[in-house]
Amino acid sequence: MAASLTGLLKPWTPRVLLVRWSRYNPYYLEPGPRKEVYHIPETELTPEQKEERELKSVRPIKAATNSVTSSVFNDPVLSKFVNMMMKDGDKIIAKGIITQTLENMKRKQVEKYHKAPEGKKAEIECNPYAIFHQALENCKPVIGLTSIQKGGKFYQVPIPLTDNRRRFLAMKWMITECRDNKHRRTLMYEKLSQELLAAFSKEGNVVKRKHELHKMAESNRAYAHYRWW
Amino acid sequence: QQQEAIGMETRPETFSIFRTQENDPACQSEQHLGQYYTVPPSHFHTVFPHGLPPRYQQQVKTFNEGCVMVRQPALELISHLKRADYSKPTLRYLLYGVKGSGKTMSLCHTVHYCSTQGWLVLHIPDAHLWVKNCKELLPSSYHASRFDQPIQASNWLRNFRTTNEHFLSKIKLRQRYVWTKRESTEEGRPLGELVDMGVSRVKSSSDVVGAVLKELRLQAGGTEGGFRLAVAVDGVNGLWGRTTLKKEDKSPVAPEELTLVHNLRKMINNDWEGFDSMDPFVPVPVSLYSEKEFESCYLYYLDRHWLQHPHSQTEEGKKELIFLSNRNPSVLERLCAFL
Repeated sequence: MAASLTGLLKPWTPRVLLVRWSRYNPYYLEPGPRKEVYHIPETELTPEQKEERELKSVRPIKAATNSVTSSVFNDPVLSKFVNMMMKDGDKIIAKGIITQTLENMKRKQVEKYHKAPEGKKAEIECNPYAIFHQALENCKPVIGLTSIQKGGKFYQVPIPLTDNRRRFLAMKWMITECRDNKHRRTLMYEKLSQELLAAFSKEGNVVKRKHELHKMAESNRAYAHYRWW
Repeated sequence: QQQEAIGMETRPETFSIFRTQENDPACQSEQHLGQYYTVPPSHFHTVFPHGLPPRYQQQVKTFNEGCVMVRQPALELISHLKRADYSKPTLRYLLYGVKGSGKTMSLCHTVHYCSTQGWLVLHIPDAHLWVKNCKELLPSSYHASRFDQPIQASNWLRNFRTTNEHFLSKIKLRQRYVWTKRESTEEGRPLGELVDMGVSRVKSSSDVVGAVLKELRLQAGGTEGGFRLAVAVDGVNGLWGRTTLKKEDKSPVAPEELTLVHNLRKMINNDWEGFDSMDPFVPVPVSLYSEKEFESCYLYYLDRHWLQHPHSQTEEGKKELIFLSNRNPSVLERLCAFL
């Protein structure tokens, strides 16, 4: 009896500790997965870089997530897109769809390139990553609308958007457009590649949606002074 | 490295380190190892209606040309075929290797050689297609306990017709075949008629396949009007394994009970006319890419504008590709597809 009572007096710590989703002590530094930073020899470092290196040798560092790699092919925007496409935490399927999309886009463009006459070859963009980034840029809205209550009624007021919000909206519109408004039997990578290629040349439904948002904001400019921030 | 090589050579600008102008498989030798040769577009649809891996077919469509790398296993096979003694019993060769190492492509290279030499080529694209996922299984009319596969057989006959057009009128049948009470094919009719009948009458197409194989076996080694016969089976281990097919009472079907498999096994069994003994086979290993072959593949993709990611064209990117793919040809192809 005495033995079990002394066991209960110990402070309880869980056997498994969650690390990434807990709030880190601000003392912890971010991990730096890029290799080039560590290859610079001592002599060529700027004073800030020297300071950073000294700090890293002293302070503890947060654990890196599974999606960051030291690979040269790592793209943060693409990773964000993959996370937004993911359903039920199934990253393998989402990443597979994105790679198939990139391959599909590249195949279409390279086929066009090889069949085009010499003069037109320079205009065809074959790099799927460049197409993806440009298409996303073309879909980002410049100004957004928000609902503000004034005198009992709600008004749609034009507001400036942060970069993150703009990127999020562009990606969200792209994904919902491909999921909802296309033919039922086409596969996702086919739908995505068609939509991205259209957005690259500033056609297609997503760019249309962006233009409509701009028009709404323009028509509601009278309410702009309802914004107080 | 590439720049140095071009600087030293004095050939005109069509020279490149990874391509060769020698498009005839018979004239290729060790000096062409690791280089790509182009299959002439006119040959492409006649020699390869079936048999190429699906991803390679997509690649041919994208690049607008069909380029095959000259590799050690294929060259070895072709040299064996050139020097073999055809009065002795037929030799069988087995290409083996890990998944994705290039066995099917080596086989297709050899098939191209055989057809340029004027041989009759019996190319079965994938034996696994005949032992799994068959929608229709008919009980065979010829033999009570066997099963027919009409769709697979008629597809294969159609492709066989495309590959071997010029042989179909030359070979005459040596036996009379009776299909139903009203239909029969007489002795002395050309093989083309038999094949056409098999394509149109889908129900008896498996038996037609059996008849075609038997005729070819009887006539291949013959001295008058003799032709050389090459049998190329991809995935030949599928003929001796289990099938995923089931009879109506849900019991599994053994491969012997399928007409197509039964006839194909007789073909491989080496009892052709005049040849009595069974022969062991010659194994030909297919390995992953060597450094030279990897370089060649990398340069080919760069030339065809396939490696588009800016980092993939640097040294760092190349090292990473070697690491990720372990020089495995199919893994490298899948990696470069989205990079």
